[in-house]
Amino acid sequence: MKRREFLATGLAATSFLLAPALLRGALAAERPVTFYGVKSMSGAFASYGEFADKGSRLAIEEYGALLGAKPKYAIIDTESNPARAVRKVQEAIQQQGARFFGGCTLSSTALAVGKEVNKAEGIFMTPAGADEITTTEFNLSTFRWTVPTYGAIHQTVRPLFESNPKAKRWYTITPQYVFGEALLTAAKNLFAQLGIEHVGNSYHSQQEQEYSGYLTNAMAANPDVLLILGFGGNGASCLRQAANFGLKKKMTILLAWTQGLDWFQSLGPELLEDVYLGAQYWHQVQTPLNIELVKRVKKVYGINPNYPLAGDYVITRIVLDGIAKAGTTDGRAVGKAMEGMTYEGPTGTETVRAEDHQVIKDYYLLRGKAKSAMKDADDLAVLISSGKSFPEPAKRS
Amino acid sequence: MLKDSELLGGTTPVVAIALVLLPVVLPSAALATEILIFALAALACNLLLGYGGLLSFGQGIFFGAGAYLASLAMIHAGAGFLTALATAALSGTLIAAVVGALAIRRTGIYFVMMTLAFNQTAYFIAYTLDEWTGGENGLLDVPRPPLALFGATLADLGSPMSYYVFVAVVFLLIFVATKRVIASPFGSTLIAIRDNEARADAVGYNTKHFKIVAFAVSGAITALAGALYAMLLNFAPLENIQMSENIVILTVIGGTGSLLGSLLGAGSWVIISDMFAEVWPRWLIVMGGALILVVLFLRGGIWGGIESLAERISSKKGKPG
Repeated sequence: MKRREFLATGLAATSFLLAPALLRGALAAERPVTFYGVKSMSGAFASYGEFADKGSRLAIEEYGALLGAKPKYAIIDTESNPARAVRKVQEAIQQQGARFFGGCTLSSTALAVGKEVNKAEGIFMTPAGADEITTTEFNLSTFRWTVPTYGAIHQTVRPLFESNPKAKRWYTITPQYVFGEALLTAAKNLFAQLGIEHVGNSYHSQQEQEYSGYLTNAMAANPDVLLILGFGGNGASCLRQAANFGLKKKMTILLAWTQGLDWFQSLGPELLEDVYLGAQYWHQVQTPLNIELVKRVKKVYGINPNYPLAGDYVITRIVLDGIAKAGTTDGRAVGKAMEGMTYEGPTGTETVRAEDHQVIKDYYLLRGKAKSAMKDADDLAVLISSGKSFPEPAKRS
Repeated sequence: MLKDSELLGGTTPVVAIALVLLPVVLPSAALATEILIFALAALACNLLLGYGGLLSFGQGIFFGAGAYLASLAMIHAGAGFLTALATAALSGTLIAAVVGALAIRRTGIYFVMMTLAFNQTAYFIAYTLDEWTGGENGLLDVPRPPLALFGATLADLGSPMSYYVFVAVVFLLIFVATKRVIASPFGSTLIAIRDNEARADAVGYNTKHFKIVAFAVSGAITALAGALYAMLLNFAPLENIQMSENIVILTVIGGTGSLLGSLLGAGSWVIISDMFAEVWPRWLIVMGGALILVVLFLRGGIWGGIESLAERISSKKGKPG
C-alpha cells in the first residue's frame, strides 16, 4: 500500500469509527427504574413530541421514591419514523436493559414498538389512535390510554343528535385509510341505531389538500350536519375550506376526533366558532387531578396542558404506579398489577380494563367559542358533554 | 489512491476492517446492522448515479418491494431465510428493469421526474393494498428465520450480533461483486455512457440496454437491503418506500463514484443523526447544513474530501525539507 493510500485509509477509518466511541460515554443510561419516553422529537411530528416529552418529564420529576430510588427518565427520539423508532427501542432493550416505555404518536410506530417491548416482556403504554392495539394486535405488554374510534363517535354524534333531534340528515367526509374507515363504520352503526339518515359520504386520501369537490357534494346532499372524520392537517384543511364555502352558516359541523388545544390554537376562534369538536382531553375539565395538573404545568412550563402533554403525563404515571404496585421491575408482574387498576386521571376516575389493556376514560364534546366570549387565549371552546363509551373487549386468543 | 478496480485490494481491506470494528465501537450491533443495510442501498444507488449518471428517486420502490415481498414470502408461504432474500432480489431485479426501461425513455430532469412519479405510484399501491402491506400501520410480525440450507440449520440469526455478522458477510460479497461489475467491460461502458452518452451511442453501444441492466442490478441490491431491513426490525413500514430521497443523500454525502463512499455516507449519516437526536431535537438542521457544505465544498463527498486531504499531506511530506 502506498503512503498516500495508507493516509487515506487511516483518515477514513478514524473519522468514521472514533466519533461514536468518544460521544458514547456521555449517553450511557442509568440502571435503576428508568422510564423511556418514545417521542417524535424531530421530523414531521416534532411539535407533538415536544409536548409529550414535557408530560413524561413532569410525571417523573414529581414522582417520589420508586422501589427505594427516584425513577429516571430517558428519551428515545423516533424521528417521526417507525423504523428508526423500532431500531432504537431494540437497542435500548439490548444495551441498557430497558423495560418500561411510553409514548408514540404514530399508530404504526406504536404497533411495532409494542411488539418489540412484548418480546422483551416489558411494558409499553401509548396514546396512539389505532384500535388494533387493543384488538387484533393485542399483547400482554401494551396498554392504551386513548378512547377508541367507537367511543369518539358515540360521545360526539349521540350528544349532538340528542341536543338537536331534528338534525336527521348527516353527511360524512372520510380519509380513506384504516383509521378513517374505523370512524366511518362506528358512525354508520350509530346512525342506524339513532335513526339518522346518512345522506352521503366522500372519501379523500390522507395527502388531500383540496376539499372543494367533496364540500360541493356535501352541499348538494343538503345535510343538517357535516361530520368531518379527518384529523390533524386533513381536518384543518377541510374545516378551513368548509368555512370559506359558507357551510358553517348552512349546517352544523362536527369534527369527531381532534388533537385538542394546540390544534385549536393553530386554527383560531374565527374558524372554530360554533364548530363541534371531539377531544380526548380538555384543560378546563374540573377533575381533582386535572386542576392540579393545570397548576403544575402552568408553574413549570408557563402554558396550559394540551392533549399530548396530559396524555404522556398520565401514561408515565400509570406505568410508575404499576411498578410501585407490583413491587418489582418484572414486566409481566407490572402488567398484571396494571390490569384493572383504577386511579384519578386528568379526565376523572380512569380504569385500565384488564381484558384488553384499554383505559376506560371520558371523551369530550366541545363547541368552539366566539372570540368575544373567550376569557383568555386558550379559552377556545366550551365543554358540551362528556362520557365513556367502549366496545366490548375482544377475547384474548 | 485506493482503487475500486482492485478486487481484493484497494478499498476492500478497508471495508473488511470497518466491518470488524463497527459492532465493537458502536453502541449496538443493531445500529451497525442498520448502517450496513443503508450502505447497501447507497451502494446500489451509487452504481446508477456515480457510474451511470442516473439520478434515480425511485430507489425506495425497490427497497420497499424487497421488504414487503420477502416478508410476505415468509409469513404466507413459509419461505426460509435464503428463499426470502432470493425472492426480494429477484423481485427487485424485475421491478427495477420495468421502472428503468420506462424511465430512461427520457433524460435529464424528465428522467428524474419519471422516477419520482413511479415512487409516488408505488407508495399509493402499497397504501391501497393494506390487506397485504398493513397500509399505514406497516406489515407487522415479520420473522427472522435461521439461516438454513437444504433443511440443515447453519446459523441462528436471532441475536443482534449473529444477524450483524450475516449482513456484514453479505455486504462484503456485494461490495466485491459490485467492484467486479464496475471493472468489467459493462462497467466501463456504463462510465462511458455517463460521460458522453451520444458518443457511446455513436460507437455502437446500445445505451438503453446498458442502463436497464444497471437499473436491474441496482434494484436487486436495493431490494435485498429492504428485505434485510424488514428482518432486522421484524417490521416493514410503509415509510420504506419514501426512502428514495435519503438513499440519494447518503450516496452524495459519501461520495458518488466511490463504493467505499457509500459506506462512509451511510455510516456518518446514521451515526451523526443518532448522536444529535439525543442531544438536540432540531438535529435535522445540522444534517441539512452538512449536506449543503458537502455539495458546495466537497464535490466528491466525504471520500473525495479524505482523498484530497491525504493527497495534500502526502505532497507536503514529499517536498524536500
